[in-house]
Amino acid sequence: MRVLELEVNGDQVEVGAPDHWTLLEVLRYRLGLYGSKQGCDKGDCGACTVLLDGEPVIACLTLAALCEGRRITTIEGLAPAHVRAGGRGPDPVQDAFDRCGALQCGFCQPGMMLSAWALLADNPTPTRGEINAALSGNLCRCTGYTQIVEAVELAIAEATGATPARPHWAKHESTPPKPASVDGREASR
Amino acid sequence: MSVQSGPQWKARSEMKVLNTDVPRVDGPAKVSGRAKYAHDIRLPGMLHARLLLCPHPAADVELLNVEPAKRIAGVVTAAELADRPDRTIFLGQPLAVVAAETPEAAEDGLRAIEVRYREGGWAVTPEQAAAEDAPRISRRQPNALTERETGNQGRTERALEGADATIDETYVVPVQHHCCLETHGMVVDFDGERARVWPSTQAVTGSRGEVAQALGIPADRVEIVCDYMGGGFGSKFSIGPEGLAACQLATELRRPIHLMLTRTDEFLMGGNRSGGRQRMRAGASLDGKLVALDAEVWRHGGIGRGSNPGQPYIYKAETDSMRIGSVRTNTDANRAMRAPGHPQASFAIESAMDELAYAIGMDPLDFRMRNLEDPVYHRQLNRVADEIGWYDHPNRETPGIPTGGTNVGIGFGVSTWGGGGRRVCVVTVRIDPDGSVTSSAGSQDLGTGVRTYVGSIVAEELGLAVSQVTGRVGHSEYGPANASGGSTTTASLAPAVKDAAHNARVAFSERLAEWLECGPGDVVFANGEVRSGTNERMKLTWSEACSILGSDPIVATGEWQSHLQTSGIHGAQAVKVEVDTETGGLRLVKMVCIQDCGLPLNRMALRSQINGGMIEAIGYGLFEERIIDPWLGVALNANFDDYKLPGSTEMPELVAIIDDDDERQQVIGMAEATIIPGQSAIANAVANACGVRIRSLPLTADKVLMGIQEKA
Ligand code: FES
Ligand code: FES
Repeated sequence: MRVLELEVNGDQVEVGAPDHWTLLEVLRYRLGLYGSKQGCDKGDCGACTVLLDGEPVIACLTLAALCEGRRITTIEGLAPAHVRAGGRGPDPVQDAFDRCGALQCGFCQPGMMLSAWALLADNPTPTRGEINAALSGNLCRCTGYTQIVEAVELAIAEATGATPARPHWAKHESTPPKPASVDGREASR
Repeated sequence: MSVQSGPQWKARSEMKVLNTDVPRVDGPAKVSGRAKYAHDIRLPGMLHARLLLCPHPAADVELLNVEPAKRIAGVVTAAELADRPDRTIFLGQPLAVVAAETPEAAEDGLRAIEVRYREGGWAVTPEQAAAEDAPRISRRQPNALTERETGNQGRTERALEGADATIDETYVVPVQHHCCLETHGMVVDFDGERARVWPSTQAVTGSRGEVAQALGIPADRVEIVCDYMGGGFGSKFSIGPEGLAACQLATELRRPIHLMLTRTDEFLMGGNRSGGRQRMRAGASLDGKLVALDAEVWRHGGIGRGSNPGQPYIYKAETDSMRIGSVRTNTDANRAMRAPGHPQASFAIESAMDELAYAIGMDPLDFRMRNLEDPVYHRQLNRVADEIGWYDHPNRETPGIPTGGTNVGIGFGVSTWGGGGRRVCVVTVRIDPDGSVTSSAGSQDLGTGVRTYVGSIVAEELGLAVSQVTGRVGHSEYGPANASGGSTTTASLAPAVKDAAHNARVAFSERLAEWLECGPGDVVFANGEVRSGTNERMKLTWSEACSILGSDPIVATGEWQSHLQTSGIHGAQAVKVEVDTETGGLRLVKMVCIQDCGLPLNRMALRSQINGGMIEAIGYGLFEERIIDPWLGVALNANFDDYKLPGSTEMPELVAIIDDDDERQQVIGMAEATIIPGQSAIANAVANACGVRIRSLPLTADKVLMGIQEKA
């Protein structure tokens, strides 16, 4: 057992945990941060992905004790960080995932979005191949990844002011012309 | 539309919300990480539990002593499962359970359990199980059992003799896993009187009864909560042995129990899609008719019976006959998995159809259409053929031959499903004086978007924005609902939501008529306003209208209305693949799926279902296969490292097409159909590219390379 001093989502926290606990265990079983999912607990699915100093890491394979003195960002921290940085509304990556219908059950999404977020922080205009590569450690059983990639491309387009590429399926969508809007969260087309 | 008539879906051109792209109402909760799944529930005093699984395919349990586990730090109790057998019959059968302060203490507890097995004879492959001297898996029946015979085999034999071309081939499909990203399990909070339970389930209503029985209390004292769940695909209908174990612990300890399967346990005991072997002897005439088919169908469902709807599946043969049965093995029972049995049947018939087409030198697309009676398939096949570029493709009547470089091929397949509903759901719509509207159904949202349409159908009816109606699902108190499986949710639930919305509108119209100085049938709900249909100056904003309710809200219920739904759907898929003829490696270039579904409720969610169906078929076609060592009886890939799921880099361009030529104004469930023909189309595309026919899934590079070498 040791007392860990961690910086999680901008907050300094002290938490007691066994020496051998992973970061995922500390987040989920000590800090009440359940957004990081436990899909396999062995480094295979990416559902537990968090950012460590802005880099995506597999929290279930990361020793919590090695995270002292480093910045930990979980999915819960993205929106507050966006606001702290002077942004308005939701975090652009989360927003794009929502508007593109990039998720179904949603279990893979926190990890997926953090991988996408880290990619865009590092490379604001990645190619589709680079997006796919950056997300390749995050398994999704539900969606077929297509709308996830479209979400990342939407986030890129909005950040750069470019028009997002028209998705290939769109030409088969003649009717209806207009998406319904939920709370101003218009579906992306 | 007059309010006096019963509920009717509006014409598509008049719809403001339905049949558009509606972002999920729970999207923000999901993307922010706020959505809580069963795995995320934490309660004061809660314990974590783990199961002890039998590591052998079959064994006598000579000794099982849980006492040492109780001495492990952090362990609170350990117990044999109430119904644990003396002799196990499948690899991974659960026997005991440990509850502890942390998951890892529970795992330490498992290791401390003293257990001695005497391995009995077992069979983990169908070949082992069908052998003469194989140990019996069920006392009552032989391992290999032909259950049903159809058609007249003698007549088929004669028709085969008269055919211009025949094939006699056997097609093999492996066992596939559901691989829900959230494993099975639940949290139970039981105080001896009442229980609150958070299962990861496809059946909120069904879980209530199962839990009540397990806890020995009446169902009305059980509350089921499933706000979010991380995927089911057919594997989460029952609370399963893990749910029973959680209830057993909760009864003993009166403390909340958190029991979620580990990923490895999930692979071993969480169900699967049955494998199978199908021998197809088929004949065609030169004019492109399937004149005869004799099929021998074996399902491989472990200790279960597997599933397969039989042959010739969707196609029509002039003469056909079939023997269908199953071979049992000492492995976990199959469960329903998205379109149970259909992908298996599809792989055999679609491959056979292709082989016959090339045998008579006919375009396989053409050959398909000549043997599909329903014109919808013709339309759909033409659409996907067009989109994939079939009409510009060089190898249409003859497959390519390995070039040493990259060969490109295209393949097709079709699908079918019911998708109709039944009377189960009771939905409540409530309009409150403050203007809030809720629509509640005790159904569940597996990620398909149920919560969104439970609200948006009401929004459409009342002329409101989606955000003005709160759709509520995932709670047993919200009324009875059917399990979400077999694509029956939409056609069972949406009509009941529509009925409740209609009843609420009628009741509200009656209250408002006097204010609007018109008859109740003339009250119009549109654009967030309520107005008189006879005098357009008489109108109220939504909040003004609701304030008229005083302290007396509108509460209306709705039930299933048969005329708002129907059944019977069709789909077609096309795949373009690149085969590296030097390595046997495959790269999917593009995959197209067209799907009809009657009246679309939410186009964005529909496309997501179509994409999701395609990816599960890609996994089935290219990567996924449960492997158990036939000599040691050990599971070799019960994890996401060795059991390969498709990832983002393996995805082709996916084109999801909603078939808007289907003008039926009734809802139909559609998700199952989208997974059915993809793997068949992939195998056909590989054969089309280089003439190598792979008759066993998955289509791994070694099989393709072997085929290329055999040709050379
Ligand atoms: S839970 Fe960490 S990679 Fe799966
Ligand atoms: S949305 Fe379910 S696993 Fe990705």
